Amino acid sequence: MERATFISQAKTDKVKRLNKVSQTFGYFLVWACGIGAIAVVFWIIGYVLNQGFQVINYEFLFTRPAGGVSGEGGISTTIVSTVYLVVLTLVIATPLGVGAGVYLVEYAGDAVKESKLVAFLVQVARTGVEILAGVPSIVFGLFGFALFVLYLRFGFSLLSASLSGAALVLPTIIRTSEEALLTVPRSYREGSLSLGATRWHTIFNVILPTALPGIVTGIVLSVGRIIAETAIFWVTLGGSFYLPQSVMHSGRSLALHVYMLASETRAFDKAMGTAAILIITIILLNLSINLISRRLTARISGTR
Amino acid sequence: MTPYQDQSMKKPLVVEIFTKVLAGLLGAVGLAAVLLAFYLLTAQNLPTVLQQESLLEFSNGYYALASFVVAGLVSMAARGLWRYRNWARMLLLSGLIIFILYYFITIIFMILSTIFAGLTLVPILSILRVVGMGLLFFLMYAGLPLVLVYLLLRVDQYFIESNRQREFIEVTVRYVLLGTALSAIIVVILIFVFTLTEAWDSIQTIGLDTMLLGTIWRPGSIIGTDRAQFGLIPMIVGTILSTFGAVIIGVPLSIGTAILLAEVAPPAVREVFRPAVELLAGIPSVVYGLFGMVVLAPLIRQIDLPRNTGFGLLNASIILAVMIIPTVTSIAEDAFRAVPREYKEGSLALGGTHWQTIIRTILPAAKSGILAGIILGIGRALGETMAMIMVIGNSIALPRPLTNNPLTLFLNTARTLTGNIAVEINYAAGAHRSALFFTGVLLFLMILLVNSVARLLLRSRKEA
Repeated sequence: MERATFISQAKTDKVKRLNKVSQTFGYFLVWACGIGAIAVVFWIIGYVLNQGFQVINYEFLFTRPAGGVSGEGGISTTIVSTVYLVVLTLVIATPLGVGAGVYLVEYAGDAVKESKLVAFLVQVARTGVEILAGVPSIVFGLFGFALFVLYLRFGFSLLSASLSGAALVLPTIIRTSEEALLTVPRSYREGSLSLGATRWHTIFNVILPTALPGIVTGIVLSVGRIIAETAIFWVTLGGSFYLPQSVMHSGRSLALHVYMLASETRAFDKAMGTAAILIITIILLNLSINLISRRLTARISGTR
Repeated sequence: MTPYQDQSMKKPLVVEIFTKVLAGLLGAVGLAAVLLAFYLLTAQNLPTVLQQESLLEFSNGYYALASFVVAGLVSMAARGLWRYRNWARMLLLSGLIIFILYYFITIIFMILSTIFAGLTLVPILSILRVVGMGLLFFLMYAGLPLVLVYLLLRVDQYFIESNRQREFIEVTVRYVLLGTALSAIIVVILIFVFTLTEAWDSIQTIGLDTMLLGTIWRPGSIIGTDRAQFGLIPMIVGTILSTFGAVIIGVPLSIGTAILLAEVAPPAVREVFRPAVELLAGIPSVVYGLFGMVVLAPLIRQIDLPRNTGFGLLNASIILAVMIIPTVTSIAEDAFRAVPREYKEGSLALGGTHWQTIIRTILPAAKSGILAGIILGIGRALGETMAMIMVIGNSIALPRPLTNNPLTLFLNTARTLTGNIAVEINYAAGAHRSALFFTGVLLFLMILLVNSVARLLLRSRKEA
């Protein structure tokens, strides 16, 4: 009897030690993975920024690319083209996206009860958002190329590019607006409606301002996606390095410039400089999203 | 309740004068427009100013018609304004704002095209001069409208709206918003219609089986001869192999990181790690491609084998792996967090160590969520375009191992479905272009399938 307990005691000790070792090993593995992932982040960003800052100066930022295979010149026109592209895309996508979000959150519930047709349309609209969110960007590019560039004869232009880009960011804006509108407390709506405001007045003057930070987050996310997107603009924007004079002119976004420098010229240093500008912009956008969401949570927890 | 119950509201004299004068001016503009229309209809020898540089050849009749429409709108607004109707105020406001925006955009274009368009630096003084002139120009044209907008916004409370008008606005807004809600599905339908109609030609002339089973892609000889071939197998293989490589490299790393963030790491570490990993998702794909070209390609070239260029499937897989890390990590982490507390507590209470709990309890419980994350990552890898063009080498042949060792397959160059489209679409024509659109349709269907599997998994987990 005594002997048996002794053996099992030794066994459990051994198992415990083994468990301890395997736990340490597991922790080590997991930490290695995490640190590996972070190292990759810092390696890529650090390398690009380090190489990029060697060519960034005033001249690089304020003169246009010289063209040709040497890849000489700066990136001024590509910065301005990117800004035009972002603004125009958002002008198209934001009203559609926010409007869709408002309808799906504020009106869809009642409308579904009223008629079968509207209920069906709402279902279809939701499915549409889900499908659109999964479409790969080159397919958006093909679509823009077929519809805007060829069929509507807009050619390679800012207009074609921003219409295709708007299709890309539409699901992002719809989803974030929906989420933002859902966080607005019911009592706000009831209070405004009971004061005699109409539904549209309530939405425009009470609900949208309350949901604004969330909606802005969606818009900033979309800005990031447009800046980072290349494949769509490669087949719809053309690639002219001159400054576009109107929305019907071709242009070149920053990301497109990186691609063209890397694939058509030997100017890898200039490409790195442009990539560094892109990365800095993306980091700033991410920081601003964090700032907005932190302020948002502070405000929500403050009112409660 | 009368429709205009607060008609009797007392208005200050200033408001009274401002509104009536504005209405009078508008009426005058309307009258002028009518006169212009009649003049356009009757005059024989028109000044040529009206016909210069127009996109379409408009005759005088069209201009007269436009004048009549403008006159109608303006005089309606004038009458409404005279009677303090809110809709008239809104109409006027939107017209003014469009006018101001037009000049604003013109000025911005002007300023930017002087500062940024040159091959040399523009001196600071001339920048200041351009900006100053732009501002002056803007004030000259949009100054008065700006003041009017401000005043019209100030007199808000004296304008009235009937219940019927309110009802009308409500209903209009509801239908307009329904229209915006349908925009996404309309875009989806347009995508289907346009890619399919463009691809239909290739299905007709080349044939579905030839494209899906053919192993040779040779569009170059399309002109004149019938020897052009459009087999998509090399690209399908390239896409599958590079995605497979990305999963092999990226998924273990992502799941490890997710376990670290969800279970092991202290909050302070999490605060640093999570935004850093999320940053990976935002970095443009061309930057990854550039990194692959400049840094990874020379590293891979160190493996001393014949025909090893550094560009190819291995490079592409590594780049793709980095790109799917944020997707897989964040969804896997969510899945770990969604495991009920009781599972963990039960395992710990039975004497399991923390690590045993993670491996034997939390990991199996979060299985479907992790799988969904991996599948979404695959979806992202399948759709990646620009980075792939830059690092995979873009050869149109079916990738084969470089030596007898089958693993050297990954050192060979290849081409993905996405890359196939992007490389050739800008100059393709005829059946070739149509075949590229078919490539897009194929890719779209693949990703649709992958994403719906992931969505099913996530939904079943939510319901469970």
